[in-house]
Amino acid sequence: MSGYKEIAIRESCFRPGSTLCPGCMEAIALQNIGRVTDNGIKTVFSIGTSCAEVSTLFFPNVVAWGRGAAPSDDYARSFAILHNVFESAPTLAEAVRDVADVLADMGALEHPVQVLSSSGDGGALSIGLRALLHTIHRRARVTLIVLVNEIFANTGFQYSPATTPFADTSTTPNGPGHPGNIEPPLDYVHLCIAAGAALVAQVSPAHGKLFVKTIEKGLSADGTAVIFVPSPCISGWKFEDGETVKLATLGAQAGAYPAFVWERGKGGSVKDCAREAIDRPPIEEFLGLQRRFYHMVQKDPVSGQFVARTGREQDLEKLRAWVQSNVERLYRLAELK
Amino acid sequence: MSTLQGPRAPMSHVTTPAGERYDGAIDLSKVRAAHHALYEAREEMTADGNTAAALATLQMWQCVIFAGFPITPSTKYIETIASKIAADPTTKKKVKLLEAEHAVADYLVGAAAACRDLIFPTATSSVGLDHMTETTRSLGASGLGNVMIVNVYRATANFPLCIEGDPSDALAHRDDGFIQICARGKQQIYDTVVQAPCLGMHPEVMTPTMPGYYGIKDSHRNARLVVEPDREIAAFHDRWIRPSELPGLINGDTAFGNCVTSRHFQGFKISQKQRMERVLDVLPKLGADFENYFGRPGLAFFDAVGFPDDGEVDLAVLSMGPDFGTFEAIREAYGKRTGLKVGGIAMRLLTPFPRDAVRHKLQRAKVVLVVNQAHHQGRGHLTLDVADALSDLEYAPRLVSAFAGLGGADVSEPTWERMLDFARSAHEGTPVAPYAFFHEGSLL
Repeated sequence: MSGYKEIAIRESCFRPGSTLCPGCMEAIALQNIGRVTDNGIKTVFSIGTSCAEVSTLFFPNVVAWGRGAAPSDDYARSFAILHNVFESAPTLAEAVRDVADVLADMGALEHPVQVLSSSGDGGALSIGLRALLHTIHRRARVTLIVLVNEIFANTGFQYSPATTPFADTSTTPNGPGHPGNIEPPLDYVHLCIAAGAALVAQVSPAHGKLFVKTIEKGLSADGTAVIFVPSPCISGWKFEDGETVKLATLGAQAGAYPAFVWERGKGGSVKDCAREAIDRPPIEEFLGLQRRFYHMVQKDPVSGQFVARTGREQDLEKLRAWVQSNVERLYRLAELK
Repeated sequence: MSTLQGPRAPMSHVTTPAGERYDGAIDLSKVRAAHHALYEAREEMTADGNTAAALATLQMWQCVIFAGFPITPSTKYIETIASKIAADPTTKKKVKLLEAEHAVADYLVGAAAACRDLIFPTATSSVGLDHMTETTRSLGASGLGNVMIVNVYRATANFPLCIEGDPSDALAHRDDGFIQICARGKQQIYDTVVQAPCLGMHPEVMTPTMPGYYGIKDSHRNARLVVEPDREIAAFHDRWIRPSELPGLINGDTAFGNCVTSRHFQGFKISQKQRMERVLDVLPKLGADFENYFGRPGLAFFDAVGFPDDGEVDLAVLSMGPDFGTFEAIREAYGKRTGLKVGGIAMRLLTPFPRDAVRHKLQRAKVVLVVNQAHHQGRGHLTLDVADALSDLEYAPRLVSAFAGLGGADVSEPTWERMLDFARSAHEGTPVAPYAFFHEGSLL
């Protein structure tokens, strides 16, 4: 494993110039992933249609990918990227892996190749769940990154299977008698473990060292590594400038998306998120920073704390119960080997 | 930074319009050397169409991964590949079974982009091709001419489901961007699959190919087949296929599948269309070279019968597929009985439709009977293409449109005679309906 500081000064394959929103966690994640991949191994990236694609692969003005200002003389630092349709990123990555492996097996490719894919939660967990699970099921030796902003952000912030209960989205709007999203999120971490992944993690760059260490582990995994990256979306979650990392941290600590790393044969652990609710930041503090939960909580003028809006007490209690079950679920999954 | 894999000699790289290409990254000679020949000498055998297509791809050294998903009537293609691979304990080639046809198409994108010098074939049918559609339309525009989808024709709609050979799948996918070539007979299937990559990977074409043939009628029925030795196929490919000038993902610093604004979209689409139209120039040369090399007819726009040197016929038939053989069998007798000069053409190249060649062939016919074998919202896929081809003639032949053989039904001799009679009435000046359905010798 490389040192955190050593990785921080590497050259990322994600370059300035994307049109991602200022404050987008996806940009921070891709910057960090790009640095980890500057490890002396040729990198191929596949990317499904998503914010991370339409905002970075624009022709001819902005292509925010590539290592260095000019193509490297060193093949190992060259970089290639492929986009196809929403759901295809894991399958594309698997195909590149297979071709590289067959060529290597024939003695036609001497240099190693590392293959990653990037999808949004819409692309990976909704339209692309089939592709995600079957690439894992076939034990493809690739690292699958899923940027989870809990919405179809690229098409205007609609519900996705990862949307937190009671969130207001374009297609689950809050209204009289309608409390926002009423569906519990898909248990995607468990699904990936069950499908046969070698490594499954849920971690954002807010946990910086853990994040880069997990990406490194994923790249060296002897099987499929799936890394879900909680990605606060400034436009879809509707929070103030400069709060991205704070929200990512608070969401993890409060139990909305606890940091979690699991490896086959070794088991896993929940990081920086207590099992008991009393030992965690109140979920209301996380909700209160985002206008997608404006209908659920308000700031108490006396205490300064976020509390349930009048008439939303039962909904907030249900949400707290879901958060607790979410945390308990990950602690139980960590015990699997 | 230092490489984790130890120091390596610098690799030369070349700047191309699509990014940087690292020429030493992939040693294709090793891939060629890893190929185990299936046939060392020309052999004759009895085979069905799926086996003929499978053998052709197995014999190509550039085919190293065979992705697939079963669907009737194409399934025996991937089964044949799997059995041959399984029978070779030292082969490095792989069968890759995906979870759905859509996944197969996605896989072809990734694999073909990974190395543009390898060929990635699969076979599918009917709703399998429909399931691929989201990605086949991307592939058609991708420039990845090293993808080949063998389409074993079968009706597409499942209300009602019908597994016999009906080219409505192929004809519904005319706009996917693939070069579509219809083959009839096992030898033509084999020869078409051998030639297809030469066309698709031609540097002026760079368009994926979709050779096709009728399900059941050609996929499942046996006939004589001559297979060529692998080394001759490789030698023929060497005449046509050069190492790609554009980089792939593994040997390049490049990007595939970018977004563009509408301003730049125009250029991409014009380029796609221009590459497709280059097929009309390249295909005849390729077909002639194949015939010269192997002694059998190569790719052509169509097969024609019964046209005199001056091209003048009373009645010309235009159709496709193996049922055209039944027409060929009765053509002379029908002509003698009716006193008409009767000719016919069986289409081989469906997309791009060889408009000029069809017009030239049919321009001196008095009546053209177009026999469509697939459901269409109007007068028939082929009818519209022929109407377009003939549209700028000063004295255009009268066009008669028929539907027959839907769902893979045999187009029997009585059915052909009934259709020819229908067209003959138009020749005699009788008004005919815009289109008519025929089955088992009757006008429906």
